[in-house]
Amino acid sequence: MSIPTLVDSGLSDGVAIVTGGSGGIGRAIVQVLADCGMQVVMTYHQNATAAAEIVAKHPANRVWAEAVDVRDAAACVALAERVVDRSGRIDLLVNNAGVTRDNPLAAMEPEDVSVVIETNVTGTLNMTRAVVPFMVSQRRGKIINISSVSAEKGGRGQTNYAASKGAINAFTRALAVELAPRKIMVNAVAPGVIETEMSRPLRERAPDEVLSRILLRRIGRPEEVAYAVWFLSSKYADYITGQILHVDGGFKME
Amino acid sequence: MNITRDDIMTIFPKVAETMASALACDKERVTLEASLIDDLGAESIDFLDIVFRLERAFKVKIPRGKILEEARGDLSESEFEKGGEVTEAGADRLKSFLSEVSPERFKAPLKVADIPRLFTVETFCKVVIRQQRVAVPAMSVQTS
Repeated sequence: MSIPTLVDSGLSDGVAIVTGGSGGIGRAIVQVLADCGMQVVMTYHQNATAAAEIVAKHPANRVWAEAVDVRDAAACVALAERVVDRSGRIDLLVNNAGVTRDNPLAAMEPEDVSVVIETNVTGTLNMTRAVVPFMVSQRRGKIINISSVSAEKGGRGQTNYAASKGAINAFTRALAVELAPRKIMVNAVAPGVIETEMSRPLRERAPDEVLSRILLRRIGRPEEVAYAVWFLSSKYADYITGQILHVDGGFKME
Repeated sequence: MNITRDDIMTIFPKVAETMASALACDKERVTLEASLIDDLGAESIDFLDIVFRLERAFKVKIPRGKILEEARGDLSESEFEKGGEVTEAGADRLKSFLSEVSPERFKAPLKVADIPRLFTVETFCKVVIRQQRVAVPAMSVQTS
């Protein structure tokens, strides 16, 4: 048996939607997929300037930015239809849009709960519902949900976020069962503490405690999450579905 | 709402083509009378695909569960079914709504979960026609 060179990931000319593409991890995912030759449609909620910068960094007609609030189901359906009308299909959906509202549970406002659940959970279901019919018709597709180490190894002040990401893991496994007959693979990538704006409050609040829980004793980089997304998107992961891939430097419970 | 044979035959070729590609089967097998599940081997995910493709092919919206909801009409849920089985009144309503389905296929007791087994290609032609008519707003408003 010859050893493959692993150059052609099978992604070239594919069409991807990445939600929350203007954040730290989202931006890295957009970059890696676009570098592999995919047409990438990234959604953003508010940061139009960052989105425009990302689009401008890539060759023309490689990356598009669309303002979509994933909590709006109709907006998700409209986006999926626009992408198919323009590009003819959707090969990959990366549900990356997510927010945190950290606080001890008893100190949370009702909105701290609802915004996190509606964006991270309902938003993921909304966008997936919009894209799945196209993938079912195509009889192919890959869906990758961005989960979090919080889903399984909770931290103080993140009960709402942990609950939302636990839901994403459960959603990933259940959807994998539902879509396997149509050869659509559904997996999740669960990052640990990654150097992004989102994790900055946590890293500043308890830097030593955070590092002491990571076997590799360092914070992860956004591209290290993007590489895991690349792998699960690529043809090398065609026999993987319903899995949660942890990219967390070896995160400990305590 | 009166649906004539001509109405059905007008859209049948496109419906047949849509179903054949959704079910990956020969177009010749997609006859008006064919049961989607028993004759064409459709599974539940295929229904999603068929409805989705019909929506795009005919530019209509077909709400999920539409056939059952329309079949039930003004019967309440408890009048239509009890413990997962269709009541006698419910079965009568289904027979008249699914008039294209031969009467011997309605075997009592009929489970609600088995209703989709009754659906034929013609059932879906009628759904599309009804939704096309809903989509066209009433043009002739009486003015005095």
